[in-house]
Amino acid sequence: MTVPAPSSTITDPTVRAAFQEWLVRIADDELAIGHRHSEWTGVGPDIESDVAMSSIAQEELGHARLFYEQLSGEESGGADRLAFGRRPEEFRNAVLLEQPNQGWEFSIVRLVLYEAYETLRLGLLAQCGQEPVAGLAATLGREERYHGLFGATWLERLARPPADARARVQAALDAAWPYALGFFETTDADGVLLRAGLLPDPAERQLDAWEAAVRPLLERCALAPPAGRPCLGGRRGIHTPALTEMHAAMTEVWASDPEARW
Amino acid sequence: MEHRGVTPRPADVPWVRTLEAPDGVWAVFLQARRRDAHVYVGDVHAPDAEMALVLAKENYARRDPCVSLWVVPARAIRATAGDAAEMFEPATDKSYRFGGSYRQQQRVYRGGYHAAPTEDDR
Repeated sequence: MTVPAPSSTITDPTVRAAFQEWLVRIADDELAIGHRHSEWTGVGPDIESDVAMSSIAQEELGHARLFYEQLSGEESGGADRLAFGRRPEEFRNAVLLEQPNQGWEFSIVRLVLYEAYETLRLGLLAQCGQEPVAGLAATLGREERYHGLFGATWLERLARPPADARARVQAALDAAWPYALGFFETTDADGVLLRAGLLPDPAERQLDAWEAAVRPLLERCALAPPAGRPCLGGRRGIHTPALTEMHAAMTEVWASDPEARW
Repeated sequence: MEHRGVTPRPADVPWVRTLEAPDGVWAVFLQARRRDAHVYVGDVHAPDAEMALVLAKENYARRDPCVSLWVVPARAIRATAGDAAEMFEPATDKSYRFGGSYRQQQRVYRGGYHAAPTEDDR
């Protein structure tokens, strides 16, 4: 299915398409991480963190909906159709976010890496000059602050001695890091946005800013990012089998009657 | 004058107790608006104060208004013993102490001082 055009002042169709692609990435990232976080509901490590993680999941799904609404405009049910009516290969989320939770330490590591990126990206989006998206990005940044705080507080405690605890967190970081580099995977859209002045920083500079944001926390936890090649694909619709499995679960109810009004 | 029945207590019965709480239980106090008192709203389990605050925020302040949270180790709270309740019962008519006008004053302070809620109240 094609993504409908948002109401926007961008007249150049190439720039318009690139801007939409950027918004699809953002919405799909939020939907994927929101869905994975929501899988902790009822099975979190303690009742308080279960509630907090579920609440964070709801907020990420809420952000996804707002961006899907930007893309679908006035069309009734359009946001749901974008979220649940596309095939897995039409998703543009980074592959890290579709990975199964595996363990609490992996979910916390992923949350920390993603929130740092999300804060940075909302900051860039807030500068894009396109309303109402820019204003929306500035507002959503407020909620991300708590998400980051929750992740950092948990990570610092998980990584404390005894050593085997930190080893588990380090293993989660080793697994997550190459995928996290996939946040910064580019397509032709990135060049278009840069040249049009909608995106202030190229991917390399975003990556530097992100690393500068996460490294102090990792160092405080005596964790070190692994060397290695990034795992890319998500921004081009090339996903891991985890998305197929997640997509089936996520779309099951909607697909049972796509025309139903909820 | 009405006299209520008060059973005399032996002087050596302790009337101060420690709250019975397992390790790692924190009492959460929520302040809804700047000039309100912090009110006890429930507990969280946490290994330390920082985590207790992080969890309290999402468990107690995600729906209702809140401007500030306190967390206190539940075991640090000293309470009057349950059977000390009668101590709070007035034995004679003390309606002159009730001070309903103070509540009225509080309303004036809140409402009249700042006719509309200010940024501080939120």
